[in-house]
Amino acid sequence: MEPIVYVSLGAALAAGLAGAASAFGVGVAGAAAAGAVAEDEKNFKNALILEGLPMTQSIYGLITLFLILLSARIIGGGFRFTANTPDNIVKSAILFGAGLTVGLTGLSAIPQGIIASAGIGAVAKNPKTFTQGIIFAAMAETMAIFGLVGALIMIATGVGL
Amino acid sequence: MLSDTTLTAILDTTLGVVFTWLGWKTYKILWKYTPYSYPNARINAMEAKLLSEQRLGELAESRTLQNLIVNLEDTDYKNFMGSATTVDELERALERSLASTYLLMEDILPDRVSGFFRLLLEEWDVRNIASVVKAKKRGEPAVDYVLEIGTIVPRVRAMAEAKTMEEILVILEGTPYEEPYQKLLLDEISLTEFETWLYRTYYSKLLDYALSRKDEEERLILGEFVRTKIDIMNIVTLLRGKAAGLPGEEIRKSLLPGGTLKLDSALNVEDLGMALAELDSTKYGPVIRSVREEAEKDVSAVRDALEDYLLQRVGELTKFYPLSIATALSYILRKEREMRRLRALIRLVASGFSPERIKAIIGGGLAP
Repeated sequence: MEPIVYVSLGAALAAGLAGAASAFGVGVAGAAAAGAVAEDEKNFKNALILEGLPMTQSIYGLITLFLILLSARIIGGGFRFTANTPDNIVKSAILFGAGLTVGLTGLSAIPQGIIASAGIGAVAKNPKTFTQGIIFAAMAETMAIFGLVGALIMIATGVGL
Repeated sequence: MLSDTTLTAILDTTLGVVFTWLGWKTYKILWKYTPYSYPNARINAMEAKLLSEQRLGELAESRTLQNLIVNLEDTDYKNFMGSATTVDELERALERSLASTYLLMEDILPDRVSGFFRLLLEEWDVRNIASVVKAKKRGEPAVDYVLEIGTIVPRVRAMAEAKTMEEILVILEGTPYEEPYQKLLLDEISLTEFETWLYRTYYSKLLDYALSRKDEEERLILGEFVRTKIDIMNIVTLLRGKAAGLPGEEIRKSLLPGGTLKLDSALNVEDLGMALAELDSTKYGPVIRSVREEAEKDVSAVRDALEDYLLQRVGELTKFYPLSIATALSYILRKEREMRRLRALIRLVASGFSPERIKAIIGGGLAP
């Protein structure tokens, strides 16, 4: 494959997969939020915070997309890997890998949405469980953070900004 | 060495397999949990609005029916009370509230399980039909026994107002209750057999529905729920039969199939005490043991304890499967219990019982 294909796919997968997963996660939690608010408007604030948690993966995806595009100079200059040399292919494949890592770990937004949804239900029943609900849902965030850190290392050490 | 093309093909295939697997797993997770997201959060919020012990205590302090009606205005029952002023009207309001809860569950739960709540509502049809027919046979005013809950309330009311027993047959035409009623009219079966027939038909339908669910989790929860309900019915029937001194073979005719208990040995013992001892080795043993003394005087103590056990078990399932039908089942059981307690409370307040006495009866007779 041409280096431009690796780079574009990496950027697209990072933002696309993580964004889609966030959309599903927020959708699941949002439905729960609507259910909780339908019965009692006082649940709005707590439900809104829990609903927003799965959105962070899409931010990680977007950060990675920018980093990949900056690193390959698609943003801010001419494309770095125009020539189809082994060195360029390796570097563009690293960028692809970085994007894929963030995209796949970003899928944690879906289970996070499910956890947040259950958390919204628990908070609607007993508002004192709000902090615990946040902590449980935040656990799923860890995987996405690991993915982002991994991708940053890959981009910084393997290709450079 | 592998050529570049082969390497690319291997990489592409690997990615294809990984993405297909991920897509499938994601779809399964979303299919399973997403439909419960809205209803379960809403049900949890509804559960928070159920009357607490403290609130029930306050209602018990009402002293007069008028005060009780004013106090109930702050609750969700307000929407169903209208201009209710008598005990009967208040009871009808409670029944309408419970019926609306079943219908709400049917409305908001995923289609693949919502029919279960329509079936649960049908149990009230069975109770209504059995009560009306029994009252008619005894020559009592059947209208007093009609509960405003079920899927065929107008028909049941028409049954209660029917001048002759034959008229009821016309009303029941086309329903699953027509055949047993016809046999009852022809004296082919007794009133007890008629009632057993109704419950057998109903519970086999309920169990078939539960066990035909595609999702394993839903099958497990609904299956356990229905089988436990059948076990409770059978245990209560057995103990009542033994308390009345009926022979085992006679009691066996009234038992429902589909439960988890083997009651053969308990059926063949001589009296209630021995039947309770026989049940000790079953999974319900600890529950029955906890009310053994009261049970020897009044079998309904066992029924109440077993219903509490069912509620506790469904509560455990709710904690284990938070995004499942267990949440709705737990809520409906709590709502039914609240309705029973409120019904008792209304009658006791109207009869002029003291708040302390009411609290003792409501708290003890219908333990939380």
